[in-house]
Amino acid sequence: MTTAMNVLIVEDEILLAMDIEAIVEDCGHQVLAEAASLKDVENLPDDIDPQLAFVDIHLANGSNGLDVSRVIQMRWPDALIIYVTANVAKIPEDFSGAHGVIAKPFSHAGIKHALKYLADGVFNPPPSQPLPASLVTSSHLERRWAAA
Amino acid sequence: MKQSDNWHLTDILDYEHGRGDPFAAAVRATRMPMVITDPAQQDNPIVFCNEAFQELTGYTRDEIVGRNCRFLQGPETDASSVARVRDAIAQGNDIDVDLLNYRKDGSTFWNALYLSPVRDKNGVIRFFFASQMDVSERIEAQQIINDQKLLVEREVGRRTAELQAALEAKTLLLHEVDHRVKNNLTMIGSLLRLQVRTIDNPAVAAKLDSMLERVDALAVVHRQLYQSSDLARFDLGTFARNMAADVVGASGRTDIELRLDAQPLLVDAAHASALGLILNEILTNAIKHAFADGRAGRLSVVVDEDADCGLIRICDDGPGIASTQRTKSIGTSLITRLARQARAEAIWSDNAPGTCVTITFPRSETEA
Repeated sequence: MTTAMNVLIVEDEILLAMDIEAIVEDCGHQVLAEAASLKDVENLPDDIDPQLAFVDIHLANGSNGLDVSRVIQMRWPDALIIYVTANVAKIPEDFSGAHGVIAKPFSHAGIKHALKYLADGVFNPPPSQPLPASLVTSSHLERRWAAA
Repeated sequence: MKQSDNWHLTDILDYEHGRGDPFAAAVRATRMPMVITDPAQQDNPIVFCNEAFQELTGYTRDEIVGRNCRFLQGPETDASSVARVRDAIAQGNDIDVDLLNYRKDGSTFWNALYLSPVRDKNGVIRFFFASQMDVSERIEAQQIINDQKLLVEREVGRRTAELQAALEAKTLLLHEVDHRVKNNLTMIGSLLRLQVRTIDNPAVAAKLDSMLERVDALAVVHRQLYQSSDLARFDLGTFARNMAADVVGASGRTDIELRLDAQPLLVDAAHASALGLILNEILTNAIKHAFADGRAGRLSVVVDEDADCGLIRICDDGPGIASTQRTKSIGTSLITRLARQARAEAIWSDNAPGTCVTITFPRSETEA
């Protein structure tokens, strides 16, 4: 059984995008694409199939992660959307339909731990391990995994 | 001569000699300016005025008697106050009003007018009796107070707006600085991680990894601080629990059993970074040394407090490190010195097998 996820990284700070990409790949998952703005996400090809998207809130060209989240939900309804942001306070209560948030500054261990938990949830829902402290999840995610 | 005309007799009397009607003499001699008008005559003219009234207005008796009281009014006199006087007379009521009046020489004074009807035994109004008082000083004082009050209110409003704007600017600055700290900490971590990947020498890579873990520990401390509502205190108990779970969870080691017996333990936020680094050293060392080479084992984290002190004890059941070797490591030196800085104490003990590190804080620190 495969446990590798296809991951989309939406982050306008290139260093952080590179870092997250490396961590994701070190954990055995594949990075499908990186995007720095809403337009980048809109321009992604249709035939990719992300299972997880890490999305920053503050993005390039004045765009934001909440709008990106809506586009991802429309184009790839099965993808889990996790915000990675220092602007946790800007996330609405319903997460704009996204599934969780990892607050910046993140730690290597925090991201790895969250990836393990999410992969567990994607391939064998609901996850058997406890929710990592680095990850806050929305009620959609709990419902989705409870129904799976 | 009718009874009501009796006071006319006193016209010819010299009041200083006290002859004639004593009441009329009193009215003449009082310092209170007074007039009497006759509503039975055309336009309710003044039929009597006393000495004080002449002094107040600057007119002689000949210039006063026969005229309606309104001759004292001028362009600045408040029309609505005059209307109130007119209504009171029309309805036969008494009235108490401050009017701006004009003297013969054109100068003005504030006149506290009290006007009341005098009725005969059938209830018919025979006269109006009016006393005046120059209250210019009171009115002017009141005016000054009002002006000052307005001035003070305007100044207070201006200063409040200034302070509000300054506070908003400072709040904005604080958020901006906070945001930069978060971003910089994130970037420092990312830069180090990207660098580690390019290093082939495992010893150097391991040292850089340790450095990375310390930066990550500081990042997590900062994140927990900014997400907490209490700026002055730091929950070291929750931090220790989360860090242990992250370190073990991220290691991918399912053969390390983590036992957590943690409760919130509040410490002075000023010591948060030092204590966070200490816990990072202890926990990462345990993973690296106690459970090296895939050795399974148990790691326990206990957070507790009693009347005297707060306590965090981290124990492993690995082979243990000789105390001579331990004293040489930068980790041990960091733990010892950071503990001193945070007014805490770190003690190593034998867990037979394994090692325990116990950090204790005086109670005063946990309550700080």
